[in-house]
Amino acid sequence: MQDYDVIVIGAGNGGLSAAATLAQNGMRVLILERHNIPGGSATSFCRGRFEFEVALHQLSGMGTTEQPGPLRSMLGRLGVLEELSFVEMPDLYRAFIPGKLDVTLPADRSGVLETLQKRFPGEKEAIGKFFELVYAYAIELYTFLRNPSAAQGTFPLLQRYAFKSAKDVLDEFFTDPLLKAVPGAYWGFIGLTPDRLSFSYLAILFFTYIEMKPCHIKGGSQALSNAILNAFLAHGGRIRFNCGAGKILVENGAVLGVITEDGDEITSKYVVSNASKITTFVDLIGREHIPEKFFDDMRGLSRSPSGFCVYVGLDREPAEMGIDASTTFILPDEDISGEQFKRMKVLDTENDMVAFSCYDVADPEFSPPGACQAVLVTLKYGEPWMRVPPRQYAREKYRCADAMIRQVEKVYPDFRGHMEEVEVATPLTFMRYLGTPGGSIYGFEQYMKDSLFFEQPRVSPVKGLFMAGGWVANCGFEPTLMSGKSAAGAILRMEG
Amino acid sequence: MKEGLIQQFEGYGEVARDIEVCRKYGIDYTLEKGSVEKFINRLHPGRMTLRVADIIEETPLDGTLRLVPEDGYLPPFQAGQYITVSLETGNIRTSRPYSIASPPNQTGYYDITVRRVKDGLVSNHLLDRVERDDVLVCSGPAGNFYHNPLIHDRSMVCIAGGSGITPFMSMIQEIVDCGLDREVFLFYGSRTLEEVIFRKRLEAIAGRFPNIHFHPVIENPPEGYGGYKGLITGSLVKDVVGDVPGTTFFICGPQGLYDFCVPELEKLGIPGKKIRTEAYAPAAPISNQPGWPENISPDDRFEIRIKDGKVFSARAGEPLLMTLEKEGIFVPSECRSGQCSRCRVKIISGKVFQPAGTPVRRSDRRYGYVHSCVSYPLEDLEIMI
Ligand SMILES: Cc1cc2nc3c(=O)[nH]c(=O)nc-3n(C[C@H](O)[C@H](O)[C@H](O)COP(=O)(O)OP(=O)(O)OC[C@H]3O[C@@H](n4cnc5c(N)ncnc54)[C@H](O)[C@@H]3O)c2cc1C
Ligand code: FES
Repeated sequence: MQDYDVIVIGAGNGGLSAAATLAQNGMRVLILERHNIPGGSATSFCRGRFEFEVALHQLSGMGTTEQPGPLRSMLGRLGVLEELSFVEMPDLYRAFIPGKLDVTLPADRSGVLETLQKRFPGEKEAIGKFFELVYAYAIELYTFLRNPSAAQGTFPLLQRYAFKSAKDVLDEFFTDPLLKAVPGAYWGFIGLTPDRLSFSYLAILFFTYIEMKPCHIKGGSQALSNAILNAFLAHGGRIRFNCGAGKILVENGAVLGVITEDGDEITSKYVVSNASKITTFVDLIGREHIPEKFFDDMRGLSRSPSGFCVYVGLDREPAEMGIDASTTFILPDEDISGEQFKRMKVLDTENDMVAFSCYDVADPEFSPPGACQAVLVTLKYGEPWMRVPPRQYAREKYRCADAMIRQVEKVYPDFRGHMEEVEVATPLTFMRYLGTPGGSIYGFEQYMKDSLFFEQPRVSPVKGLFMAGGWVANCGFEPTLMSGKSAAGAILRMEG
Repeated sequence: MKEGLIQQFEGYGEVARDIEVCRKYGIDYTLEKGSVEKFINRLHPGRMTLRVADIIEETPLDGTLRLVPEDGYLPPFQAGQYITVSLETGNIRTSRPYSIASPPNQTGYYDITVRRVKDGLVSNHLLDRVERDDVLVCSGPAGNFYHNPLIHDRSMVCIAGGSGITPFMSMIQEIVDCGLDREVFLFYGSRTLEEVIFRKRLEAIAGRFPNIHFHPVIENPPEGYGGYKGLITGSLVKDVVGDVPGTTFFICGPQGLYDFCVPELEKLGIPGKKIRTEAYAPAAPISNQPGWPENISPDDRFEIRIKDGKVFSARAGEPLLMTLEKEGIFVPSECRSGQCSRCRVKIISGKVFQPAGTPVRRSDRRYGYVHSCVSYPLEDLEIMI
C-alpha cells in the first residue's frame, strides 16, 4: 500500500500552495486532482486559436519588487516568481451605464479622485472624504486583524463602520445615485450587492487594488498553477491527474488516508482538502464521523453564487474594437439597493450587470496577433440552472449568452460582428469542473454576519485534516493561495 | 479580547441576532450528499454503459451500432458531438471517438456509424465482434464541432469525406425533425458511389425539404454517372451555392479532405473564422506531416521510461498514447485527436513530435506537457503520467 505524509485533495489555488509549501519543507506529498490540468478555477482552455482565461480578472497582493505585497512574497518563497511575468493594469475599471455614465477609474488614488470629482463636481468634497475614510478604515482594519488585543478606543472607525453595508456608507457620503453606482460596481468581483456587502470588503478592495495595483499574469492563471505545480514536483511531490478522491478515511476522529474514485487506498498522516467544505465533510468524510455541532455551525452559512460566463475570441485587436480598459462593469442602471441581488436568482441575464474583461489591453501578447479575447461575467446562483431540463440546457445557454452580448454591444457596438469563438459556461459548468455544490465560485457567502469579524474557527473536527481554499478563506486568488500556505503552516507546526 | 471589542462596535447586536437566527433556521448541508454528482451526471456523465440494440449495415465498409442506455437515460448533446467508446481488444485497453449520427431529438438511442479502417484495431472489433445485446462503455457526449447560433450563420455549407458524414447526418436530421430555420448545402466526397453512407436517406430528405441540398461528389464514379465527379473544389462549391458571404463552412473527414478543401475555400476569399473543422487524428504515415524531422523514420525505436515505472521500447510512428496502452499503462483519453487534453502527460526528458496547431496550453508547452494521443517519440523519453 502507498503511504504519504500528506495527501492534498484538489490542485486549486489552495491545494497547490499547501502542497508546494509542504513539499518544500521536506514532506512527502501526493496531490489528487480530478481534472487533467492543475489550477481548479485558475486554469485556461483552448478553442480555435485562443487560450481562454477561466477565472482571473484582477490579481491582488502583488505590489512591486521594491515593495512586495503578501502574494509576491509568498510566490517568492515558493521559488516561482522568476518563472512568471506580471502585467500591471493601469486602471481599476470603467463603469458604464448606457446613456448615463461612463467613467474609467485609474489605479491610483489621486486619479480616482480627479476622475470622480470632474464627473461629479457638486460632490467634490464628499468624494475626497469618502476615499479618506476608505484608506483610514482599511488601515485600521488591518491593524485590528493583526493585533486584536489592542485596547478599545483605538478603533474609532471600526466602532462606527464595521457593521455597515457598502450601501449604508455610500448613502451617507453621496447624494447622486450615479456617483454611488461607481464604487458600488466593484461588488461584481465579490458576489454580494452593495446593500448586503459589508463595507469592510469594499474598503479592502479599493485600498489594496489602488495601493498594490491590479495585476494580470502573462500566460494567464494557468501559468501560475503550472509554475507552482512545477515547484512542487521539483521538491519531490507527486500528483495524480484524472483521479478524484472518493473517500477520506477516518478512524477514531483522525484521518488515516484517502480512497480514490478508482478504489485505490492510500494512507497518510494528514489530509489537506481543497474541495468545498460541504463536499469534504458531507461527501468525502460522512456525517457519522463529525460532531453534530460542526454542521450546526455550518447551518447559518449560505453558498455563494456561481457565474455565467461568455468567453469570446475576437478577430480584432482591442484598440480596433474601441476597448481601452481591461475591466468594464456594464451596469443596467444606477441601482445599488439590491435589484441586482434578485437578478442573481433568475436564469435570465437580461439587465444583469456584466463584468467585461479584456486582458489584451494590458498584455497585447495575450491572444494571437490581430485578435483579442473578452470574458463576460454575470454572477448567478446555481439553483435556476439546476432546474433547467437537460434537453433545454443548450438552448437556454445560448439565449442567456445572447442577452449578455446585447448588453456589451451598448458599449462596444461592433462586438458581435467580430466574434470568432464563443464558449459559454453556466453554473452547471462550474459545478462540473470545480465540483462545488450549486457551482459556487466564492465559497460561503460573506454577509455581515459572516464577515471577517466572525471567521469560523479553523479548528478541524477531524485530527490531521486541514482545509484550504475559498470555503475557509475569503474568496479570490490572493486569499486562497494564502489559505494553502496557512494550512501547510499548521501541519508543519504540528510536525515541529 | 477581539470578541469583546467586536461586541462594542455599532450594530453588533443586530448582527449577533442574525447569526443566531440563521443557525437555527438554516441549511442542513448533510442532506446534500451526492447532489453535485447527480446533477452533473444528467448532462455530463463521465461514463455510460450502452447496450447494442441493433446493428445496421450501411455500406460494405460501414455499420451503424444503435446504442440504448442500460439505465434508461441518455444525456443530451449538440448535433455534431461524439462519444468515446472504451474497450479491450487483443489484450489492449483502448478507446476511440465516434460522432453521434442520430439527432439530439432522438432521445431513445444514439447511433454511431463505424467505418472499417484497414488493420484498424477498434473499428474491426466493433464491426466484426460486437453483437446485438453486447454492452459498451462510453464517455458522455463531448466535442466542439456543432452549430453555435451565436457565431455561425443559418446557412451552412457542410463538406464531408468518408465517415465524416456522421455529424452532419445528426445536424440535418435535427434541422428537419425540429423545423430549425437553417439551410444546408452538403457536399459529400467519396471514393466510390457504394461507399456513400446514408445515401438513400439523404436523397429522401433533400427531396422533401427545400432547405437541405445534398451533393455527393464521387472520385471514381461508375460509367455514365450524372452527378458531381472528382474532388470538392472551391469552384464547385461556388457554382452550387452561389454567393458565399453569410455562410459558415463545416468540414469533417480524413486529413486529406482538410488539406485539400481548406485552401480551396480560402481561395474563394472565405475568412478563416467561417471555416470550422472537426478534429482528426493525423494521417499515417506520420512522417508525411509538415515538420517531421527528416532523419527519423517512423520505424525507428526509442526507449520510454515511466517515472517510477516501466521501461519499454516505442516506435516513432505510433502515438505515445497507443504505445502506452499496448504496454498496459492506462491513460484516460477522449478525443484522441489532440483537442481535449485528457491524455496529457509530462515529458521529463526527450523530444516528441506534435503536429502543428495542436491546442496545447502555453504554460503546458513550457513545462513539457503534451497531448499523448498526437505525440510521437523522436528521442528516448522519460515521462510522468
Ligand atoms: C471527433 C471524432 C469523431 C469521429 N467520428 C467517427 C465516426 O462517426 N465514424 C467513424 O467511422 N469514425 C469516426 N472517427 C474516427 C474513428 O475514431 C476512427 O475510425 C477509429 O479511431 C479507427 O480506429 P481503429 O482502431 O480501427 O484504427 P487504428 O487502430 O486507430 O488505426 C488507424 C490506422 O492507423 C494505422 N496504424 C495502426 N497502427 C499503426 C502504427 N503503429 N503505425 C502506423 N500506422 C498504424 C492502421 O493501419 C490504420 O490504417 C472519429 C474521429 C474523431 C476524432
Ligand atoms: S485524448 Fe483528447 S487530447 Fe488526447
